[in-house]
Amino acid sequence: MEGYKNKILEVDLSNFKMDVIDILDEDKKRFIGGSGVAAKLFLDRFNISADPLSPDNPLIVMNGPLTGTTLPGTSRFVACGKSPLTGIWGESACGGNFGAELKMAGWDGIIFKSASEKPCYLLIEDSRCKLLDGSDLWGKDIYQVTDILKARHKDGKQMKVFAIGRAGENRVRFAGIGNDKAHFAGRTGMGALMGSKKLKAIVVRGSGVCEPAMIDEYNTLRRTLIAKVSDSVPAQALRQMGTDSGMDLGMMTNDVPIKNWAYPQDFDLSSNLGGPTLTEKYLTKVHSCYACPVACKRVVRVADGPYRTEEGPGPEYETCCTFGTMIMNKDLAGVIKANELCNRAGIDTISGGAAIAFAYECYEKGTITKQDTDGLELRWGDIDAALKLIEMITERKGIGAILAEGTREAAKLFGKGTDEFLVEVKGLEAPMHDPRGWHGMGLGYAVSTRGACHLQHMTLYIEQGMSAYPETGLKANFKGPKSEEKAEMYLISEDLGGPCNSACLCLFVLGCLSATDFSEMLRVTTGHKDFDVQGLLKSGQRINLLKRTINSILGMKREDDRLPKRILTPLSPKGNAPDIDLMLKEYYALRGLDETGRPKRETLEAAGLKDLI
Amino acid sequence: MPYKFPSEDWIKEYQKAINTSEDYKQSGATWTAGSVCLVVTANPSVGIEKDVGIWLGLHKGVCEEIKLVPLEEAQKAPFVIMGDYSRWKQVVLGELDPVQGMMQGKLKLKGDLPTIVRYVRASQDLVQCASKVDTQFMDE
Ligand code: SF4
Repeated sequence: MEGYKNKILEVDLSNFKMDVIDILDEDKKRFIGGSGVAAKLFLDRFNISADPLSPDNPLIVMNGPLTGTTLPGTSRFVACGKSPLTGIWGESACGGNFGAELKMAGWDGIIFKSASEKPCYLLIEDSRCKLLDGSDLWGKDIYQVTDILKARHKDGKQMKVFAIGRAGENRVRFAGIGNDKAHFAGRTGMGALMGSKKLKAIVVRGSGVCEPAMIDEYNTLRRTLIAKVSDSVPAQALRQMGTDSGMDLGMMTNDVPIKNWAYPQDFDLSSNLGGPTLTEKYLTKVHSCYACPVACKRVVRVADGPYRTEEGPGPEYETCCTFGTMIMNKDLAGVIKANELCNRAGIDTISGGAAIAFAYECYEKGTITKQDTDGLELRWGDIDAALKLIEMITERKGIGAILAEGTREAAKLFGKGTDEFLVEVKGLEAPMHDPRGWHGMGLGYAVSTRGACHLQHMTLYIEQGMSAYPETGLKANFKGPKSEEKAEMYLISEDLGGPCNSACLCLFVLGCLSATDFSEMLRVTTGHKDFDVQGLLKSGQRINLLKRTINSILGMKREDDRLPKRILTPLSPKGNAPDIDLMLKEYYALRGLDETGRPKRETLEAAGLKDLI
Repeated sequence: MPYKFPSEDWIKEYQKAINTSEDYKQSGATWTAGSVCLVVTANPSVGIEKDVGIWLGLHKGVCEEIKLVPLEEAQKAPFVIMGDYSRWKQVVLGELDPVQGMMQGKLKLKGDLPTIVRYVRASQDLVQCASKVDTQFMDE
């Protein structure tokens, strides 16, 4: 099948040996690629019960069949393994240019086994792959190591770098991995996993191309889709204001969490932190991932003042919340500074910012004091304390060492009822979309296979009415704060989001297209006819069941599919909260799960997954 | 008495509703970006032979002027939102959020998107005002 290079590099870091393996054709058809295929490799080839930070837990970096084509939104790739943060299946997709370059070098992915004794990095130039000493890089931040490696290997086409910072080295459990400073595999702690292997970076240069199966149809489709994406209003909003374009509308629809999810609307915060303000005051350029006409990435600079920064990658919407609304800070320059510190250290700005907001609340309620914070006062609205906490987390100093374990563990260590302030599911801190405004998102948080997640499914787009996908059987015009009919909506959105992630198409780009467009992208690239809309939805079901089976083996039960108490508590007397019991009951029936949350035997059989029984 | 949408009588009632709305007065208080024109595209089956625009002269939380205009004039407004009759009917009935409608391509926007995003609350309040007008739809 086209769309694949039919080669995965397997690197044993304990002895620097390398091998080449292939993906079974059957698994390409069943799980497409990306995190779907990675999950299958993980289950088939590894001891999935191993401690996430032990050498036995692999780090799997995978492309999908769309990665590296020139169709819009095909920059994505994914880092997977057992999550050091949650202890269950972990995955984090990333944009940028690394995945495409890896494909052009001739690889569908890389599996890192075991751990190196000394810091090292992997250099890939087409089929030539070498592990090199990385001792001089250890201790450097992501911006520094990226610059050093690009300069060191500068002959010919520029290298693409995927590296960890100090947080990954220090095994901060929500450390991410950065591609060329601006793009991050942020969620579920894949940077900590990479750090545990003493692998500082992967550097790649490829000279090949990604040929589609049906070149004429591909070219026609490409032209049509680029025009369609460019024309769509969500793409225009993303291009003009970045992902932070959603802040103002989100505040109106109760989507934006404030003060660690405990405060209702505040329009002053959104007008200071939203996309229009970011654009007017700090934007210097827009930037794009490989092959993307949307260009939602921001390049910003804070010219002067206490939060002065060089020109560099700007914050996403999520970061404007975690370091803005979540701690009641309305100084966007401070958010930009926090973003830069997190990027350099390699900290997921969602989990990192959420951990800091959690600490602020613990401080407010007196469950931690200045004695616990090395004298820092954690006061709502104060970004300076947050900036110090980022450094303390990165270096695991003082209270930073506790927060570096993630909020679930931190609440256990703090005790005194601090679990009341948690907003996490299965150990993953929730992203910045409040399920009290959008109940379907709440179901997504409860059942997503990596913990509270807004990106394993298309609910954000569908429930908020930005995309419709009628060809999937979805109804339209969902009311946000209603739980009825959401389970069915969510199931379809999950069955669409799974293939999107596995094919390695950017979710934002799919948000501007139809499900039919997506299936056409796969058909003309792979030449495989079963990737029609119904075929895609079936793949989505299989991908979900596979990851759910892994999590069941790892001990996840129905009670882990839940929402935190805070999300089940209305924000005001007139507010409401998701009816999670109703949605879960319906979802379990539709997904074919038993009362423990495991896929039923007949569900697996009907999905063509007998091998998982 | 219900007013036909769109008609001279309807827009007068709409202007009254806007100018008596405390919510819009607040959310639109800093609006100085100029007029907004809502264009209902031609639909002979409901009696709209040509595209017709509802011109809203908005300034600092007040609707200073309202008029029905042909398409050529409508397009001179800094902000033009176009849609067919059924879409506008959904908006007036409060069934379609105009910003969602724009995102889905059900309503087409010409104008500065960041400004629209910044004033998303004001646009919501304008819709609320429209839904307060006792409306007779031409297809009913
Ligand atoms: S929409 Fe944004 S994140 Fe997605 S591929 Fe394009 S530039 Fe990258």
